[in-house]
Amino acid sequence: MGSSVQKAIELILSADPELLNILSVTARVCLTSSVFALLIGVPLGILLGAERFPGRKVLLVLNRTLTGMPPVVCGLLFYMLFSGVGPFRHLHLLFTVKLMIIAQVVLITPIVIGLMETFVADTSPVLRETARGLGFSRAKEYGLLMNECLYSVFSAYLLAFARAIAEVGAVSMVGGAIAWKTNVMTTAIMMYTNRGSFTLGIALGLILLTLSLLVNIILSVMQGRLSR
Amino acid sequence: MKTMAMTKTYNRRIVLDLPELELPEGQITAVIGANGSGKSTFAKILGGIDRPDAPHPVLPEISAGYLPQKSFPFRMSVEKNILSNGHDRSRAAELMTALGLGNLAAQSAKKLSGGETARMALARLLMKQYELLILDEPTAAMDMESTLLSENLISHYCQETGCAVLLITHSIQQARRLARQVLFLQQGKLIEQGDTDTVLSKPARAETKQFLEFYGI
Repeated sequence: MGSSVQKAIELILSADPELLNILSVTARVCLTSSVFALLIGVPLGILLGAERFPGRKVLLVLNRTLTGMPPVVCGLLFYMLFSGVGPFRHLHLLFTVKLMIIAQVVLITPIVIGLMETFVADTSPVLRETARGLGFSRAKEYGLLMNECLYSVFSAYLLAFARAIAEVGAVSMVGGAIAWKTNVMTTAIMMYTNRGSFTLGIALGLILLTLSLLVNIILSVMQGRLSR
Repeated sequence: MKTMAMTKTYNRRIVLDLPELELPEGQITAVIGANGSGKSTFAKILGGIDRPDAPHPVLPEISAGYLPQKSFPFRMSVEKNILSNGHDRSRAAELMTALGLGNLAAQSAKKLSGGETARMALARLLMKQYELLILDEPTAAMDMESTLLSENLISHYCQETGCAVLLITHSIQQARRLARQVLFLQQGKLIEQGDTDTVLSKPARAETKQFLEFYGI
């Protein structure tokens, strides 16, 4: 075990080409999907939290259901849609990074929506009453609400990224864990462990844990700064 | 200034049923009554936060400023909060000094105490000139010194601008100190209305008398 960890650290320090490729694919998939999830999820979350309209409660229940959707179910759904017998087979997206990103967006956007909705539903009524009492326009009211949401947006992004980077079920099904093409950190750990090659798996595990620690440190620091 | 007669129903229960009311300009009208008497609902309807049952406007086309019971401190400094309702820096400085907020100007509004937040909210509202000012228990979270500073400022604002002020208060003493006219509400209805001294010293209605006796008046 000790020698495997030592070899893993040496692998990281030697900038192994395969390791770098896995990191690059992972970064591409996770950064892109979390940014898209943010772009879609933040406005929808604010809308669901700040406004009252018919069907809102149905949408909230639907979003909570999607938040708990098992990644393999999402993977299965996309596999069926884009495989040789699926309706979108002509797009030839199965086993590509693009489809991995789309599946990740579907998986993590409900998390962003849920976080934003919870925060805004709590903040918006009091803020709105104050802003309307001052005679502010709707645009100014939303501007102030966005300003209040900064920390929530930031933490929603980091949580979405953390979920994306730790996810394995959907990306392995739609990406196929193809070496040098669609293999991300989690699928690579599984692949190399199955082969009995622990060194690369441990190296990737160490990187994942370090990233998780970094995300938490950044969240704690930003929480202090943005809550001022 | 006249407000239209209004009713408000929540869950098939009438919580407010008021006749047409006169709010004299350049004067403070206090609204007193127990919890659930409809004071805040009345303030919210006048402030445009809540709607009455009938979809007609309850006020003529005027500028109205409304201070809710719990004002929200925006995520910025105290000074910027105040300047969010106007750009006149000297007016903001004047208001901060009058309310003892001068040394807190650069501080984050989120770090203020309840009383300080209430003073900041009042200063923020008074940055603009309104024809009607609706204040829902503006000093409820303040200590006596801050209360007196705020009352002094509200009184000056009313005299200087000539606006009508509707003051919702639980404090009979505050109504006596500030208001020329008092409205007594009970269960959403106007029970008694009149000159402050008369209503508070020689109430005409038994309900008003009972309410004041409860407060030891």
